[in-house]
Amino acid sequence: MKLLAQHGHAEGNKVNEGIEKRLIDGVIFSPKDIGEEKLIQRIGDIRGRLSDGEILFDPQIYAAMVANNPGANLSRLEQFDSYFVPLNRSRLEIESNVSKVLRDTIAFELPLEVSGIIAPNILISRSFDSREATISKTFIRLTGEVYAEIGDSRPIYATLAVGRDALANPTELQEFLNDITLIEHPPSGFYVLVSARTSETKLEIFNSDVLAGLMLINYSLKINGFSVLNGYSDLVSPFLGAIGADACATGWWSNLRMFSMDRFVPTISGGRLPIQRYLSKVLLNRITFYEYQAWRRFIPTIVNGLSMDSEYDEEPERAREVLQSWEAIKSLAEDFSGADVASNLNLGLVAIEGARRYYEEIQSFGLRPDAKSNQEHLDPLLEGIRSFRRLAEI
Amino acid sequence: MIPRIPTESELKKVMTEFKSLGRPKKGGFKIFYPANLHDGTEEALKLAIVPVFEDIDTRVREELRDEIRNRIEREIKLLGSMNSPFIVKLGSLSPRRIEIGEMEFVAYSEEYLQGTDISDLIGSGYHVEEKELRLLASCLIDAISNMWYRFNTVHRDIKPLNIIKTSLPERPFVLLDLGLAFSIYESALTVDPKQRFPPGTTRYIAPEMLKPNFRDTLDYRADLYALGVTLFEFASCIHPLAKDRDDLFQTLSRILHNASTPLEELRPDLSKEFSTTVNQLLKKLPALRPSNLKTLNRLIGLGT
Repeated sequence: MKLLAQHGHAEGNKVNEGIEKRLIDGVIFSPKDIGEEKLIQRIGDIRGRLSDGEILFDPQIYAAMVANNPGANLSRLEQFDSYFVPLNRSRLEIESNVSKVLRDTIAFELPLEVSGIIAPNILISRSFDSREATISKTFIRLTGEVYAEIGDSRPIYATLAVGRDALANPTELQEFLNDITLIEHPPSGFYVLVSARTSETKLEIFNSDVLAGLMLINYSLKINGFSVLNGYSDLVSPFLGAIGADACATGWWSNLRMFSMDRFVPTISGGRLPIQRYLSKVLLNRITFYEYQAWRRFIPTIVNGLSMDSEYDEEPERAREVLQSWEAIKSLAEDFSGADVASNLNLGLVAIEGARRYYEEIQSFGLRPDAKSNQEHLDPLLEGIRSFRRLAEI
Repeated sequence: MIPRIPTESELKKVMTEFKSLGRPKKGGFKIFYPANLHDGTEEALKLAIVPVFEDIDTRVREELRDEIRNRIEREIKLLGSMNSPFIVKLGSLSPRRIEIGEMEFVAYSEEYLQGTDISDLIGSGYHVEEKELRLLASCLIDAISNMWYRFNTVHRDIKPLNIIKTSLPERPFVLLDLGLAFSIYESALTVDPKQRFPPGTTRYIAPEMLKPNFRDTLDYRADLYALGVTLFEFASCIHPLAKDRDDLFQTLSRILHNASTPLEELRPDLSKEFSTTVNQLLKKLPALRPSNLKTLNRLIGLGT
């Protein structure tokens, strides 16, 4: 599985360094956080550093549905007006309008030196049996058709953006998958996003229904011959890699590690800068720098034994955190890549059970994890995998 | 009423195109005779049965029979349009309605294919090698592709009995009976709920065809399921789900709810790629069956 940087605000030198250290295999740019001129320059620069890398551009058309919201914060996205215009459901119920959005967006992306084209789509926020889902299917169905007319030999990825609530109904999801896996002009692959209601708590995504649904989407698309890229998948990435995902992406802020429409319609403002964290492979979680310093004295095996660990001898600079995260996620993904999906999932289950034991050990020393460092993600992860196995008939 | 098999002399009174008939064989809704024509060629004479439908109103019965006659003729016309070499071709006798006593049939002919059906091979305990399984898969994938992409048609009755292994190198396996049996049942279903019964042959029915509204969403992945069952059974001589002692409802329940034994447990000599893909074709959810036919042909067929 390839690991990509989910690009966002304040890139600094993070992506360049991630590429130099071979921690990432490419980048997904977001127009909200980069202007067109800079985008073209950065793509050229990264292409020079990583000639065979995955360089992609998420056109973020799903944000066009909230563009007229008085509280919308689209930032630089509004500058991309050759394809980005406010949209609503009524307009997109007309197929020719969907086709136009696809044409305009793909036409914008084609001159870019990207390795593949990510087609636009809207977010299915609550249900696969909804007007949004019908519109989304139209986008998916027309993606390959439009690309066959105006595209080139690079792969085309249809976007499938799904709200976490929609994944609560597996029957509707299964029927939706039955539809999108049989398309007359199929795209090369899918760019999959699962939207949380907020990117502030990991339990939005670490929920058994959400995880099982996301895994089923990945698995079904792979079985049907599509490439699958997951955006904003962060700690779930190794488990998606275990069932065949081709690439996953994560970034340096919490809103680049979990997708949420919060990015475009902020509900809270301000807040403190987060404490820097260390991603421990055996805990399948990030812990604060201070926890890392304290806990490793009692339990040395929470240290990954990877090259970026040395950055944490002292409190690292903020920009270093993501490099350590990329390294640990990539390493976990390699740990879960065995002979086949069933055995990979077993490796994942063993890792979860192992993490549980580590947390017990931590508690036995009287150490108390902070709210984001605790083990509350493990039960949903375990149940999510079990539930996925049932849905996927594995 | 189940019609009896017409004799050669009864048929000769209403049809003069053939010189002699061989021993008849009855399938679900058709009777088949090897037939010698006057010019010395051989064809397969087929009589599609037009059911009688007892205990229903005369007007409804006639409407229903008329619908079935038309449907049979449409299916035969469709068969004539198919251009996969791995689907049986029509013979010289165009569809014709015939009556023998109180029985009514639609008679037509198909090419006569010398060979053995896969069902007979399974019954004899034939040990098939992976190379031949891949050859069969390739032929059926071509047939399924032709039916779906050119004619938007699903066979719905792919099974060992409907596949002939021939000695023709360019047509090693040929698929028979293009959905005819199912079409007849489809008509009955719409008119007489008492005769409600799953379409196709029970042991090879895809799980989605057991849903009440299956027609709304049916696609060629139902045929891929049947392909998986056929390959599994041909490879192992064991049906992946049904048991001989089962009644109809037990079989249906297994199709809907039970997982099959992995093929590799019964045939460890087959490649992992082949066995895994056949297992995947048997998944209950169509979206979990590999639907990209080119890729599928590479995994279980002879595609590159």
